[in-house]
Amino acid sequence: MADLFKVSIDFETSHLIFPRLIIAILLVLGTIIVIRNRQAIAGSGAMWAETLRRMDKPRFLGTIALTVIYFLLMVPVGDIWPNTGLGFLICSIPFVALIGVLYMHERSLRSMIPMLIVAVVAPAIVWWLFTYVFALTLP
Amino acid sequence: MKLNRRTVMAAAASVAILAQPMMAAAQDLPRNVRMVIGSTSTGGDTYQAASIVADALSKQLGINIKVDAVGPSEGFKALGRDKRGTTIMLFHDHAYLGNLYGIAGNPDPFDGYLVGPTLTINPGNAYLVAKNSPYQTMDDILTAAANGERIRVAIQPGGVSEIGFTAMRNAARVRAPGSEENIVPVNTGSQADKNQAMFDGLADVINGSIQANEQFTALPENDQKAMRFVWLTATPETLQKSPEAGMGALSRDDMLQYASPQTSVTLDGTTDFTFDKEFFLIYNKDMKPEMMQAIDEGLAAVFAQDELNARLLEAFFIPDFQPMAEGSAHLMKKRDTYREVIDALK
Amino acid sequence: MPILEFLTPMYVFLILAGTLVGIIFGAIPGMTATMAVAVCLPLTYSLGLDNGLALLLGLYVGGISGGLVPAILLGIPGTPSSITTTFDGYPMAQRGEGEKALRIGIVSSLVGGLISLAALFFFAPALAEFAIKFSYVEKFLIIFFALTVMAALSEDMLLGIFSGFLGIFISLIGVYDVTDGGNGEYRLIPPGLEYWLDYGFSLLPVLIGLFGLATILEAAEVGMPKGQSLKDIKVGAHSRFSWGVFKGQVTNLVRSSGIGTFVGILPGVGGSAASILSYTAAKTSSKNPESFGKGNPAGIIASESGNNGLTGGAMVPLLSLGIPGDATTALLIGAFTLQGVQVGPLFIGNNPATWDSMIIAMLLANIAMFIMMYFAIRWLAMVVAVPKHILFPVILMMCVIGAYTINYGIMFDVWTLLIFGIFGWLATKLRLEVAPFIIGFILGPSAEIYFIKSLESFGTLTIFFTKSWIAMLLWALILGSVIGSIMLARRKAALELAQAQAQAEP
Repeated sequence: MADLFKVSIDFETSHLIFPRLIIAILLVLGTIIVIRNRQAIAGSGAMWAETLRRMDKPRFLGTIALTVIYFLLMVPVGDIWPNTGLGFLICSIPFVALIGVLYMHERSLRSMIPMLIVAVVAPAIVWWLFTYVFALTLP
Repeated sequence: MKLNRRTVMAAAASVAILAQPMMAAAQDLPRNVRMVIGSTSTGGDTYQAASIVADALSKQLGINIKVDAVGPSEGFKALGRDKRGTTIMLFHDHAYLGNLYGIAGNPDPFDGYLVGPTLTINPGNAYLVAKNSPYQTMDDILTAAANGERIRVAIQPGGVSEIGFTAMRNAARVRAPGSEENIVPVNTGSQADKNQAMFDGLADVINGSIQANEQFTALPENDQKAMRFVWLTATPETLQKSPEAGMGALSRDDMLQYASPQTSVTLDGTTDFTFDKEFFLIYNKDMKPEMMQAIDEGLAAVFAQDELNARLLEAFFIPDFQPMAEGSAHLMKKRDTYREVIDALK
Repeated sequence: MPILEFLTPMYVFLILAGTLVGIIFGAIPGMTATMAVAVCLPLTYSLGLDNGLALLLGLYVGGISGGLVPAILLGIPGTPSSITTTFDGYPMAQRGEGEKALRIGIVSSLVGGLISLAALFFFAPALAEFAIKFSYVEKFLIIFFALTVMAALSEDMLLGIFSGFLGIFISLIGVYDVTDGGNGEYRLIPPGLEYWLDYGFSLLPVLIGLFGLATILEAAEVGMPKGQSLKDIKVGAHSRFSWGVFKGQVTNLVRSSGIGTFVGILPGVGGSAASILSYTAAKTSSKNPESFGKGNPAGIIASESGNNGLTGGAMVPLLSLGIPGDATTALLIGAFTLQGVQVGPLFIGNNPATWDSMIIAMLLANIAMFIMMYFAIRWLAMVVAVPKHILFPVILMMCVIGAYTINYGIMFDVWTLLIFGIFGWLATKLRLEVAPFIIGFILGPSAEIYFIKSLESFGTLTIFFTKSWIAMLLWALILGSVIGSIMLARRKAALELAQAQAQAEP
């Protein structure tokens, strides 16, 4: 009886055991979910169409697009002045400002001023703190 | 509250001013250098060695050196990407051992990178048994293996922790061919795991260090946690340079008892196997030779002063500066010796 | 110890400064207590041992506590150990009870900190002796117990458990790390991505992606609605905080602080497990488990006293075995060795003055943390009234900085943030559940290592039941938690059915 529970683990392949166990559990649970929720899954096309229709596309897609551009530019810009964190500083100011403009409801010059001040001041303080006080590496 | 914040800011500002380089930067070097290290821990020995050396070097050269604990894989990647010499790496023997043991994410530092000057040695690499263990010495262990007893050794596979284990198996093979099969690894991770493996009776011998395990050796024998050193892998020359008082209750003379030649783990029947955990620099292969020259000169200058040496010794590191040409040749030779041992046991 | 000679104005100043900086680090999403200690570690060499430790301990206590502020107000956990604080804290803030939630969290933090400090001071060697009775098997069972909360936290149990296992699955991507005892082999990496994914996804970027960026994306999707204005926040009379909240919660407070302390004592179980476990325990033993996750103050109490309980607990193995109890105390070892002081089983006996100075530093740090945060609450609570077009871009930038610096400058961690931000948004649409997912992600690697190592060492599955009385006790707790979740699900189903019937009748 005790032999039934004996397991011998080969160290060389021990990295695969747990992932396989988890995959097996996921497959079982996934199958049950698909069977139980088959109606919801069949209706998912309509759900997505509805989601897309209702979505505030400029704000949602704009956030993603700006974030991707921000991430892509940070490292190459930073490489011009290596290990100074300037890539972060130079990219963050327009990023914060543009996201700010994107999220605003009434885009008057008056209401933009506080936001623009924050867009310059916040990255600058953060950059100064991280580079000089905490001596951490920024892009 | 307000007062606090203001004082903190003032303190922070003065720190920032102090952090600015006082001297003019060495001409050949970038003003801001990033030193990546092969460890993700900022509490471990690699980070300490790096921060002590980087501190002294940046003052000497008048540049900023930031130490980033990114780990071996990311460290080599960051080094490989930067041809301008703004990134350098500090690591220890794991750099080539990981590659010799075939651990993924460990490229060969002698191929594709340039191995630079050696800096310092951590002499603490040690093997221990439980205080009430039937094995008192390395000789007992190797004899037991030759007599067919199974000896379980807790190590972290694939690096500095495994090399001494490989040496034990090699010594067993030299003494009684075939008996190396009786020395088996218990693969664990951190020092806590290795100690726990001993407490749980899962390992007969564990890898540890003078720094982390010395106090366990001072416990009374009836304590479950009590341990005993059986082997220090460092060379006697290195241990001779350590502070005479040693560490805790373990004096320098005590240390020498556990190291070659008093405690012998043979390499080939005539000479002893030894292993010094050396810290050294690694450069990108396209970095300008003038930069490497400038770093060599800066290091030679700081290691000629007492301040850095004293600080290293205080943190239990042995100063071990060799300029790039010698350091690199020395490490290459060391690597080749270990490669033979590792390959012979495959 | 005739006179407390370490008690100088500098020492007190460093504790206060450390606590304040720690709170700020903890409160910024993406910055953690560990990071705060790491950046200040080099400063301690010149400060000397007692003063250096005063600063670091202040940072540690402050950093662990500061995490509750964004967790409650914005639903973004400031540190991984404040995840469970968001479950009840954020719903309370959305009801306008942010100030009250903050006060509950801060009081619980103080209690947790003090109870664990007392445990450290009076019982450190004995507790360390007990901790080494926990082998791989018992540690696996503790992680398993913490994982059972996945079921309890789910809206829909099947989907919740699926999400939890998905979290475990994602956490296993990359190397089976040799530093944890693995064999250093890669697994589950999609072909071609080895360069990026060799060490998998790191926890912190995943966490702030799921909770930070995903929240912002969801708000962007619906057109950035105007949030709460100052009028909506119930300050003063409307949400008067009274100690009455803690009535009937004494058991919860003590139990959660105890769990936190205990998790800290066990090396290798991980800091985030402390608050998850105490939350699980509080929910399992509550009379109204269904109110958890909807703004039940008991959830905040459990989570915050649990994670602050960690602080004293994690010092126990550090000072009586030389082994750190969590990632932050691992850095403290560096502070000791830089000064040439050994930590190990003889530390307390050999260095009585340092031991006293550390205890007093932690005591002062806890009190300072409480005072600073308690009086800052009124202003902190107003953060939610900052217009979103100013607040959100700044939070986004802070998330980026946190992700980039957490592993000392790895750009892939920033991309991880984006990947999991989008994943978090998608998950809600697919009805996957974020809470069990992140718990699976956090606990997955430890579950693996302890499960595999148990079998590797003992060679039989029965060891999980027969190892020790501790294992048996843990099984009793696991069963209790599972049965509790099943009953809860049934009760909920019955309630929904009754409501549906009530609606069906005219």
